[in-house]
Amino acid sequence: MAQDEKAPEPTVTFTAKAGFPSAPTSMEVHAAVGDIKPWDAESWAQFEQMGKPRPRAEGPLKVTGRAKYTYDVKLPGMLYGRMIGAAVAAGEIVSIDTSKAEALPGVKAVWTADSRIVRFAGQDVAAVAAVSPEVAMDAARLVKVTYKERPFAHELRAAMEPDAAPVYDLDKSPAGPDVPRKGNVVGPRGGRRSEGRGDTETGFAEADVVHEGTYYCPVHTHSPLETHGVVASWEGDQLTVYASTQGIFAVREGLAEALGIDRKNVRVLCEHMGGGFGSKLGPSATGSAFAMVACRLAKKAGAPVKLMLDRKQQHLCTGNAPSALITVKVGAKKDGTITAVDYRSYGSAGIAGGAGTAGPVNALHGKNPNLRVEEYDVYTNAGPAAPLRAPGHSQGAFGIESAVDELADKLGLDPLEVRKKNEASPVRAAQYDLGAKAIGWSRRNKKAGDMSSGGFPPAKGAKKRGLGMANGNWYVFAAADVSAQVKIHRDGSVEVIAGYQDIGTGSRTAMAVVAAEELGIETSAVTMRIGDTQFPEGPGSGGSITINSVAPVVRLAASEARTKLFALAAPLLGVTPEELDAARGKVFVAKDKARSVTFKEAAAKMSGETIDCTAKRKKQYETFRGDLTGTQFAEVEVDTETGEVRVLKMVSVNDCGFPVNPLTTQSQVIGAMIQGASWALLEDRTLDRNVGTMVNPNLEWYKIFTPADMFEAESILTPVANLGNNTSTAGIGEPPIVPTLAVIGNAVYNAIGVRIRELPITPDRVLGALAEARRRA
Amino acid sequence: MARKPSPPDEETQQPEFSRRFFLKTAGVGAAATTMVGVGARGEAASVLGPDPVTLNLKVNGAAEAVTVEPRVTLLDALRNHLDLTGAKQICDRGGCGGCTVLLDGEPVVSCLMLAADAEGHEITTIEGLGTPEKMSPLQQAFVEADALQCGFCTPGFVVAGTAFLAAHKNPSLAEIKDGLSGNLCRCGTYGRIFEAVQKAARKG
Repeated sequence: MAQDEKAPEPTVTFTAKAGFPSAPTSMEVHAAVGDIKPWDAESWAQFEQMGKPRPRAEGPLKVTGRAKYTYDVKLPGMLYGRMIGAAVAAGEIVSIDTSKAEALPGVKAVWTADSRIVRFAGQDVAAVAAVSPEVAMDAARLVKVTYKERPFAHELRAAMEPDAAPVYDLDKSPAGPDVPRKGNVVGPRGGRRSEGRGDTETGFAEADVVHEGTYYCPVHTHSPLETHGVVASWEGDQLTVYASTQGIFAVREGLAEALGIDRKNVRVLCEHMGGGFGSKLGPSATGSAFAMVACRLAKKAGAPVKLMLDRKQQHLCTGNAPSALITVKVGAKKDGTITAVDYRSYGSAGIAGGAGTAGPVNALHGKNPNLRVEEYDVYTNAGPAAPLRAPGHSQGAFGIESAVDELADKLGLDPLEVRKKNEASPVRAAQYDLGAKAIGWSRRNKKAGDMSSGGFPPAKGAKKRGLGMANGNWYVFAAADVSAQVKIHRDGSVEVIAGYQDIGTGSRTAMAVVAAEELGIETSAVTMRIGDTQFPEGPGSGGSITINSVAPVVRLAASEARTKLFALAAPLLGVTPEELDAARGKVFVAKDKARSVTFKEAAAKMSGETIDCTAKRKKQYETFRGDLTGTQFAEVEVDTETGEVRVLKMVSVNDCGFPVNPLTTQSQVIGAMIQGASWALLEDRTLDRNVGTMVNPNLEWYKIFTPADMFEAESILTPVANLGNNTSTAGIGEPPIVPTLAVIGNAVYNAIGVRIRELPITPDRVLGALAEARRRA
Repeated sequence: MARKPSPPDEETQQPEFSRRFFLKTAGVGAAATTMVGVGARGEAASVLGPDPVTLNLKVNGAAEAVTVEPRVTLLDALRNHLDLTGAKQICDRGGCGGCTVLLDGEPVVSCLMLAADAEGHEITTIEGLGTPEKMSPLQQAFVEADALQCGFCTPGFVVAGTAFLAAHKNPSLAEIKDGLSGNLCRCGTYGRIFEAVQKAARKG
């Protein structure tokens, strides 16, 4: 996803104002030929559409139940499909008997898997399509599967034991033969984030204080409320697929290749989708080929098939966030200057790899000169992981940011001051005090667990309060092959047509804002057409990539359309097109605003029916800085009698370049804090150690935050002209969830004076830790 | 909080629930059985099915006849037979509120109610509360406060919130939290939802 560094291409140079709009600095950016001058720090005050809070365009459809999701699609003659997953965690399929299912009236097609090796419970085994969901369920129950079971490894630490059952035969490893492997443990893996820097031995020798600790995160599932699913419909060799997806083009590519058909014959649609959080980036899911299966069932039955996974299947086979067992050794001088970090991480992405967590330790505490990193993947007999909202970063930040908190405590220093001391980012340096003020950081217990040591009112009964903070990082990724089309019609109406999808972030509205700003019209005057692979190619929405990939190309296409419109308006005003500007639905002479025509009057002069401009994404600029920064604070209350932790307030301070629509941007930030707090306190995908199946495959035992758990949440945005592209935008979906696990853990420590290094921080863990501390005391 | 539906005749309540529970939990991977959706009712109750039966439902003020197997839930009848797809199946166990509809003005989770048991009641779905062109005050407030992201939980929250506001004219924040805690959202919109409910309450 990151921009490749290739041979230098011809560029144009713009001089623009970078940084905070209140303190801009002049810099040169080198853009690809044909690109336009970026919106910069001076643009911020002049924007008419950008940066203004506005409700999302599809709101009225969603609040009235009219928005059609994949789950809501109903086609004439449509059948209902149902997947059947493996009932055992490891073994071989001896037989699949579908005869009774096929004989059931109403069953129209049956599919069985080719693979006979089972590596996790829930793996695709068979599927049926029938005239109703009820008959499909009956048919699924009539499919008889017999297994030869094998021993399995159900969990990270169990799988690391020398005598653990191997998930893969020793001569086979998805990581390939070049990566060292011992039992289920693979690594250390290479890669950019494992390179480290400096010399940690020297660094630790310089340290006055050293802290070492081990931190554990369990597996979380994405639990999007709309489960994964598609509706597949054939007309001859033309396949139309409605998909609940974060990447319509990835679905098209994956299905075309799996079915051996041309991409041109596959159309994928996604108008609205009910959450993905990273689990819906592929053609089907990481642990199921349900979309391909639905297409095959539809072909076989000669009728459209709707196949939605159920909640249990969603937990088992559509991805998850890897567990993590992170050991951090950190040394510092008495004044808090970090001199070395040694970081070792084990994680399980189930039967897949990719459990790395070293992003935060690489990016945070940037002044630390000495860093050593080792990362290992551990195979378990569980569904393969999928990216989950800043993959690996919440876990990694929990490791390094918990350890630095403990280090500060050992040094007798304020953890916020230790962060400041080691901060390399000028943006985060400016964010600290905003967050500290909003949370009331000065109230924190100077001595953890002692509520008379800070600014809190005296403890009420068994309830103790505390404050915690931690940092997070993320990146400015962009997809290169992105296009967008802007049409101005002769009646003055405007469409933006682009093949990306709105996964609930408000990206539909955001691109309308960008086009409207460039064209000088109201955002509400722009009609968005998205979510269709017949539109110009868009990116998959993962990595907080969408705004940074699509907004610049929408602006570019709008700019080209504006130039054509100005050519029509110029003769009406007796000036050259270069003398014109546009705002508020008018095209006017820049030096004499009274001389104007309306947008509609100018459009009426076009010779044909449409001004139609399609632009392609230009190269990402060399950026003002690589990372997206953020810092986060929490106040918690811990009941030391029941062990219950309640979050009272959280504050997140974030940078996403220019927030196009602060209302929806802040909704994402607040949502990330809630999801992160839910991970920290409640969520744990538990596999049964005796049978290897999931103990809590629903939403009542796999607990997520409810309204009753809600706290006061504040999002503070620090707009920055990052000059990374012509709109200075960057994504925000992931950054604010990176610090949250550590923030909550650190706040709990400040409240009770006992460190809980294993998540989730459930009442039993709190009470156990308090009891242990009493025994030692 | 949406209550679990109770059928008109209290005596039949227990068999109804055990049948539904059995139907929904004997799912994928379980041993094959020949179980169908009959036989659990007591002798005194009228037995429907197993063949489809015609049910007369009153939905959003209109009389609707649907012909469905008697085991079909109210949610599936609304969605698959009446094209009212606003109510969502999310957890399918009455634990998330995504399928909330009003039954005689009271919120119920329609995934735990058989369509047959909704006969004789006034059913109101999200579609009956307003249209995109003419939203209810609560719907309007949801849009303005951005009390939605992906929007999949939103119909359930709006229906639950509508019932809540009908019973609480001037609710406190604590009452709103409590009143809506039968509904789940994964994007994290709770705070904005509270704002929307408060805003709509102020407008009366």
